[in-house]
Amino acid sequence: MNTSLRSPLIYTLFVMPALILFVMFFLYPIGSSLYYSLTSWNGVSAEPRFVGLSNYVKALTDERFWISTRNNGFFIGFSVLIQVPLIVLFSLLIANVKRLKGLYKTAVFLPSIMSTAVIGILWGFIYEPNIGLLNKILHVLGIDPIYWLSDNRFAMLSILVTNAWQWTGFYIVMVLAAILAIPRDLDEAAAIDGATAVQRAMRITLPLIRPIISVVIMLSIAGAMKAADIVIVMTKGGPAGSTEVLATYMIKYAITNFKYGYGNTIAVLIFALTLVLTAVYQLLVVRRSEKVEY
Amino acid sequence: MPKSIKSSIPHVLLMLYLIAILFPFLFVIFSSFKQDNNEIALNPFGLPTTWEFNNYVEAWVNAKIGTYFWNSLYISVLSSACTIVLGAMFAFAVTRMRHRRWSLFLYSLILAGMLIPNNALMLPIYLLVRKMGILDTHLALIVPYVANAIPFTIIILAAFMRSLPGEIEEAAVMDGLRAPGIFAKIVIPLTVPAIVTVFIVNFLGNWNEFLLANYFLSTDKLRTLPVGMVQFRDQYQMNYAQMSAGIVYSVVPVLVIYAILQEKIIEGVTAGGVKG
Repeated sequence: MNTSLRSPLIYTLFVMPALILFVMFFLYPIGSSLYYSLTSWNGVSAEPRFVGLSNYVKALTDERFWISTRNNGFFIGFSVLIQVPLIVLFSLLIANVKRLKGLYKTAVFLPSIMSTAVIGILWGFIYEPNIGLLNKILHVLGIDPIYWLSDNRFAMLSILVTNAWQWTGFYIVMVLAAILAIPRDLDEAAAIDGATAVQRAMRITLPLIRPIISVVIMLSIAGAMKAADIVIVMTKGGPAGSTEVLATYMIKYAITNFKYGYGNTIAVLIFALTLVLTAVYQLLVVRRSEKVEY
Repeated sequence: MPKSIKSSIPHVLLMLYLIAILFPFLFVIFSSFKQDNNEIALNPFGLPTTWEFNNYVEAWVNAKIGTYFWNSLYISVLSSACTIVLGAMFAFAVTRMRHRRWSLFLYSLILAGMLIPNNALMLPIYLLVRKMGILDTHLALIVPYVANAIPFTIIILAAFMRSLPGEIEEAAVMDGLRAPGIFAKIVIPLTVPAIVTVFIVNFLGNWNEFLLANYFLSTDKLRTLPVGMVQFRDQYQMNYAQMSAGIVYSVVPVLVIYAILQEKIIEGVTAGGVKG
C-alpha cells in the first residue's frame, strides 16, 4: 500500500504546481523581505540602495513604531487578560448546560466566519455618535454621547471590543471541544463524592484543559500580531495614530508612502517579534505544565 | 441562594452573551428596511414603520454592491477550486510515494508554511504580483489566494488520504490502472468529504479577505464585496439604511453556507487554526 505512485516523473508532475506556488508565495517573499529590509527603495525606481541595518536602527528610534508596537501589546493584553477568562467561563457554562447547548455553540461561532471588514463597518455603525446603537443606549441611561472612534481615549478600546466580539466564540468552540472530550466518569465520581459544580470545574476540568488554553493564548498572540484589517476599516490608524498597529504602519509606509525598504524592515520585525513572543511563551509557560493524561 | 436561582445563572449569562452576538445583526437588518438616517435615529431599537425594500435595490444597483458581489463570488469559487486541484495532487503524491524521505521533506516544508504570519509577506507578494504584470486584475487576488490556502489544504487532504484503505488501490493497480487514473477515479471520489470541508473553509476565507483585495486592485468595478462596502461607506457619506442593506448582502451567503454546513465549517476552521 501507499506505493501506487512509482514513477518519479509522475510524482514530480503531481507535486510541482503546488510546490512552485509555495516557493513563489512563501519562501521567495521571506528572502525578498529580508533583502529589501536592508535597502532604501521606493518600490518603483530602478535600483534599491543597500543601507545595511540603518532601517532597523531607524525603526527602533521611531516613536510611531513604538506606538504601533504598544497597540499590538494592547491587543495581546486584552485577549489574554480579558478574553481568555471569558472564553473559559463561557466554555464551562456551555459544557454544563443541558438545554440549548447546540444553539449556544452555533451562535457564538457565527461572528468568526464573517468578514472582519464587514464586522468593522457594522460596529462602526453601532459606535456612530448620533444614530449608533451604543450612544442610544447611553442616552436612555442619561449619559452624553461619546465619540467612540474619533476620541483617542476610546478608539483603541472600541476596536478591541469589536475584535473580541468577533473572535471569542471561535475560541470557545475550541475549548468546548476539549472539555467535552474529557471522560464523563471523572466528573461523575467527583459529583458522587459531593463536589459542587464550581469545585469540579476548578479542580477537575480546568487542570485538564490547560493545554488547550495555552493553545488559545498562542493563537491570540499570533492573531494580535497580525491585526490590521479591523483597524484600517474602523479608524485607519487614527485619531492621531492612536490605533496604529504594526501591520497598518507597515502598509502605510510601503504602499502609501512608497518607502518599500523601510516597510519591509517593519515586516521582518513583525515576523521576529511574533516568533520571539511565541517562543518565550512556550519556554516559560507551556514547558512547565506537564502533559495531561487521562 | 435557592437552588432554582442558582441553576438558572448559567442560562442567564449565556442568554446575555447570545443577545450580545445576535443584537448587532438584528439592528442592521432592521436598519436596512428603514426610510433613512432620521428614522434610524428616532427609532433605533424598533421594527421599521414601513418596510423599505428600496434600500436593497439602491445598494445593489447604484452602489454597485451587485458588481462587487459577483466579483467576490467568482474570485472565491475559482480560487478555492484551483486550490483543491493543486492541493489534492500534492497530497496524493506525498501520501503515495515510495521515497519516504522526500515525501516527508516536502510535506514538512508545506507544514512550515502554516507558521508564517502571512500578512508579513504582503509587501513582497505585492511586488511579485506587479512583476508578473497582473496587478489590478482579478488574477492578482486569485493566484495569492490559491498559494495562501495551499498549506492548510494539503495538511487536511493528506491526513484524509492517508487514512483511506489501500485495498481498492491495490486492486486497481492489478487491473492495470496507472497513477493518474487511480488519483482521478479512486482517490478523489473517496476524498470528497474532506474536499467539501476544505473548499468551504477556503471559500469563506477568500470571500472575507480584505487586505490584498484592498491594495492589489484599484479599478472600482473589479473590487470585491468587503472592499466595495468600505468604499461605499466612505463615499456615500452615511446613508446608513443603504449601508445596512449592503452589510446584509455580504453576510447572507456566509449565513446560508453556515446554516447548511456548520459542523463541517467548525471542524475545518478550528483544524486550520486562526484565520483572521
